[in-house]
Amino acid sequence: MKHVVVDPVTRIEGHLRVEMQVDEASGKVTDSISSGTAWRGLELILHDRDPRDAWAYIQRICGVCTTAHALACVRAVEDALGIKIPKNGNYIRNIMAASLTVQDHIVHFYHLHALDWVSPVAALSANPEATANLQNAVLKTYKLPFSGPAGTVTEAFRKEVPRATPSYFKGIQDKVKAIVESGQLGIFSAQWWDHPDYNLLPPEVHLMAVAHYVEMLDKQRELVTPHVVFGGKNPHPHYVVGGMPCSISMDDGNSPINTARLDIVDRAVNLARTLVNEYYLPDLLAIGHIYVQKGMTDGGGLAKERVMAFGQFPLETTSTTQDGTFFKNLLIRSNGVVENFGQGVMKAKFTEITGDDLKNPEVFGEAVTHAWYEYEGKDGDAQPRHPWEGQTKAKYTGPKVGTPTDWKELNEKGKYSWLKTPLWHMKMCEVGPLAHYIIIYTKAKQGLLPDMTWAEKMMVDQIEAVSKVLGLAPEVWLPTMVGRTAARALDCQLNAEVEKFFFDKLIENIKSGDTQVASMDKWDPSTWPKRAVGVGLYEAPRGGLSHWITIENGKISNYQCVVPTTWNACPRDDKAGHGAYELAMMDTKVKIADKPLEIVKVIRSFDPCMACATHLFNEKGEKINVVTTDPYGGMHVDA
Amino acid sequence: MEKRETMLESYLRRGLSRRTFIKGCVALTTMMGLSTDMVSKVVEAAEKKPLPVVIWLHGHECTGCDESFIRSGAPLASDLVLTNIALEYDHLLSAGSGEPFEHHLEETVKKYWGQYILAVEGAVSTTDNGTFCMSGGKPFVETLQRVAKGAAAIIAYGTCATDGGIQGAKPNPTGSAGIKHYTGTKPIINVPGCPPIPEVMTGVVMHVALFGKIPPLDSEGRPKQFYGNRIHDTCYRRPFFDAGMFADSYDDEGAKKGWCLYKLGCRGPETYNSCGNLRWYQGMSYPIQSGAACIGCSNAHFWDEGPMFARLPEYGPLGDIDKIGAGLAVATAAGVAVHAAASVVQKQQRDKDKENGKEQVGNK
Amino acid sequence: MVKEERRIYYLFSPFLRIFHWIMAVSILVMFVSGLLITKPVYINALEPTYTLFLVDVTRSVHFLAAFVFCASLILRVYGYIINRGDRLFPRVLEGHFYSETVDVALHYMLLKKSHAPFLRNPLARMSYAGLYVMAAIEIVTGFAMYNMADPNTIGGFLFGWVNTVLGGEYMTHVVHHYCAWGIMLFVIGHIYMAIRADFMEGEGEISSMFNGTKLLEHEPKDACEVEPPKTK
Repeated sequence: MKHVVVDPVTRIEGHLRVEMQVDEASGKVTDSISSGTAWRGLELILHDRDPRDAWAYIQRICGVCTTAHALACVRAVEDALGIKIPKNGNYIRNIMAASLTVQDHIVHFYHLHALDWVSPVAALSANPEATANLQNAVLKTYKLPFSGPAGTVTEAFRKEVPRATPSYFKGIQDKVKAIVESGQLGIFSAQWWDHPDYNLLPPEVHLMAVAHYVEMLDKQRELVTPHVVFGGKNPHPHYVVGGMPCSISMDDGNSPINTARLDIVDRAVNLARTLVNEYYLPDLLAIGHIYVQKGMTDGGGLAKERVMAFGQFPLETTSTTQDGTFFKNLLIRSNGVVENFGQGVMKAKFTEITGDDLKNPEVFGEAVTHAWYEYEGKDGDAQPRHPWEGQTKAKYTGPKVGTPTDWKELNEKGKYSWLKTPLWHMKMCEVGPLAHYIIIYTKAKQGLLPDMTWAEKMMVDQIEAVSKVLGLAPEVWLPTMVGRTAARALDCQLNAEVEKFFFDKLIENIKSGDTQVASMDKWDPSTWPKRAVGVGLYEAPRGGLSHWITIENGKISNYQCVVPTTWNACPRDDKAGHGAYELAMMDTKVKIADKPLEIVKVIRSFDPCMACATHLFNEKGEKINVVTTDPYGGMHVDA
Repeated sequence: MEKRETMLESYLRRGLSRRTFIKGCVALTTMMGLSTDMVSKVVEAAEKKPLPVVIWLHGHECTGCDESFIRSGAPLASDLVLTNIALEYDHLLSAGSGEPFEHHLEETVKKYWGQYILAVEGAVSTTDNGTFCMSGGKPFVETLQRVAKGAAAIIAYGTCATDGGIQGAKPNPTGSAGIKHYTGTKPIINVPGCPPIPEVMTGVVMHVALFGKIPPLDSEGRPKQFYGNRIHDTCYRRPFFDAGMFADSYDDEGAKKGWCLYKLGCRGPETYNSCGNLRWYQGMSYPIQSGAACIGCSNAHFWDEGPMFARLPEYGPLGDIDKIGAGLAVATAAGVAVHAAASVVQKQQRDKDKENGKEQVGNK
Repeated sequence: MVKEERRIYYLFSPFLRIFHWIMAVSILVMFVSGLLITKPVYINALEPTYTLFLVDVTRSVHFLAAFVFCASLILRVYGYIINRGDRLFPRVLEGHFYSETVDVALHYMLLKKSHAPFLRNPLARMSYAGLYVMAAIEIVTGFAMYNMADPNTIGGFLFGWVNTVLGGEYMTHVVHHYCAWGIMLFVIGHIYMAIRADFMEGEGEISSMFNGTKLLEHEPKDACEVEPPKTK
């Protein structure tokens, strides 16, 4: 038995540490720890500030899923104040959200995840000619021909298609060779390049993937130009409570949005569809297929047992979310929990999440038995608490081995993370694109999705097409490490089409004469109630996100975020068991204990975003009113 | 693997002549403060010198600066990290992780001691011995101090690294601050912004790669070429300000016509950045062009200078200072009136006393 | 009425007097134009290059007034050098200054019927010192904002540090604006006290700002600071 530590886990957002016990003989991980190791306290900083500014502050939780927290924030404020944003504002926000998802997924796959699958060193032995042939074969075999409703076609032909010539691949190979021979490996330094997993793929796949790594490094920036046009910049574009700041006018040369500006967005939408369909999906399916063929269907963990999502893309806006109308107006109605999907789609159990559920103490609670917090009162840490009775009192206990400022091993029997443990009916859930897909697929197959939208239909078609390519049933390939990564690619294709869908809707609406982007009639605090509470929901690239706000006398008296990575990366609970990261690690075989490539690969298949997930407490460890970045921790509305 | 590409080889490989290389060495000599007769020695040394090594550390941050860095349009991110610099340690892009990666950091620091550029993203947290920001099992502040000692120069990327940023906003629960307090006397290039403009971030590195020295800095350590002007002074909407043509609220007539956002609290008049001239995405836009008021994200303490949608801070029920000032003026005037009335009474009393011969002045 | 014997004291040089009135006008101009710069009134402008009332005209007026103010300050300094009567700093190093301040304050609080005679009473001196501090703040912060349009100029070099010291140019704006209100409150008090003194003591408080002399009945406590008086 060997104790293995990986800290820092890189190619993620923020600071994450994992530890595991590996049985060297069988390669089995018998115990594992996932620990968020940094805390910044943004919600505390939001206390007493103006709710109209909050989006800017809370957006800085994360620069990778930039815009996600700003969007959830403005939705929460608008829910609290009963603001119904104009149609254009909703369409523009949806375009921005979808373009974020496309760009985020592509960056995740190529730049944060790919180097766990492919190696530039292995690419050196590839034959450029064979690589060109492989590229053509991949494009022939692994394209998924799905698209959204046919809108106006603005592109003559697909421009950014992969190059499949020997000289191109030779050029890339020479560059990699020069880097390796110079001894300055730069970004390729210090990886376990000699790990046997890199031998699973032929050298030509490595070379093709490295070429695409470099291509996408330069191309990804063009995918988020909608943020630059509508929000002025990226990362961290601008929003405004009540809609969007980018006024539309076809009569003024100096207006933020006119036809020329929309054409930039149109170009980005076309590019997104091309890059997903020509690069991302074929690459992923080609690699995934080889992995599945070689029997690599592990790393599923909690996904087989329980997944959760909140649903995505309001078709039209409503002025309230907390009464559940948000859920009734979605393009993708994935709000709910699916259990036991691993046993087969028909045996899986779907439970819907409603507006009332979110406020129900019996549905949601959180535990701190293994987080660096303590609960006071007669039950102590033993009893998980609903956020309304929630408390956040720090109790940093340091590691099991080492000193508080020099960790060797964290204490799996005690507290070991700044993340709390969110629970649904006292159970753990996994969130993310995989959850999203499992839920929609289960609902569709069990007949729970009447009048399917085009997007829901497309999701089901995507899953069935991939099942055909891989030759496996969805319940076999979906809840695995490969499936988690594949679901993200499918989500990317879907979001590119969603971008197009809402772009067409935006154009249609402007055509009808409506140019309003912001509703400012409730801007003045004198129009607000003395006290208001609100919730903003958004299915972020990493899963269901919600923000909760309490506004009193025109100021924020309580703010808290329910973040996807907290659901996935949380520490264990003595009754509910392990969280998604820990279970996925324990569902993964490690070939060489000293080089746990499989572990970092399965962790990265979640696309960790630690800055989003870490908890909040005050430095004296006293109870504070504005609490937690974790689910439900600060939902209590007493100030 | 042990063979290191020399600076000369690197120049030649990039199609640059030996002449250019010698020029670079002359610049390098000046930068190092050596006299010109040392050039030959520098050439000799540089022929054995590899690509500029960059170590990128992450403190309390959101990775938005990394993301901005790879959004650069020129140089493109691939050209930068594969050809112009050797990015040996970076939590976002580096392949390695865990113990081998930390070991690689130590090796790089040792191997290139006194030569590497340290780029830092994120603030330093020091409360509770820095245990709010742990990486590699150690507080970030310790790693920063250790690595900073061997750096040739330090780049502070983003307002978090320059001044503490969002986590340093009141009440600053983690005791976060800019890195300058923890890096001793090393030269620091401050590149503030939340995040900074992509081409500004890469431009600073390219300046070092191309000119062999750090760019000229202003009194606050910012590159003059990128932070030399206020956004207001370079804004394409400035003529509307001068003409008194303003948007009074979001999405009103003025906003649609693209008039000045001054009345919506735009921080352009106080903010030094390249948004007005370089703009984002190589001239595509910047917040003001997209109709959103600037929030002054390259200002040291902009998070505590709210509300962002108002020109001046607001207090209590009266609101901004002009209302409070007018209130105080009225109160003063009222006080004056009362005092005047009392003074008249006093004077009459005094005059009466005088007439009665009970003259008395002051203390006499 | 008792016939009063009064002596004429020559106090203020023409430099101080000229400066005073220039300062009065320029402060007023700067205050009004400053408020208009912070909160421009709505003007129904048609296009940016031709409008009747421009913000940049307001700004130019503000800057012009500022330069006139600073230039006349030089006259004031010259007066300070050549004429003892122009030296109005509070005598904080002399012990009796404090007891005299209390004496005047008690009178102003209407607790005493009158205060000891002064050419320039200690409370007024203190308020002038306050005004000069505020004026200095306005000048320094004003030039910091004005010159940083190009930080590479001498002006930027001379005043750029102000922004750093205050923690950012936003704070410079705020301080400049708040201080302007402080000066306005002084102005109200100053005008009232001058009129009141004329009314109460009849010493020629207001006319002294035109002809430089005050008429005093009794020997003032600070008589030694100026030339001997003439009898009327």
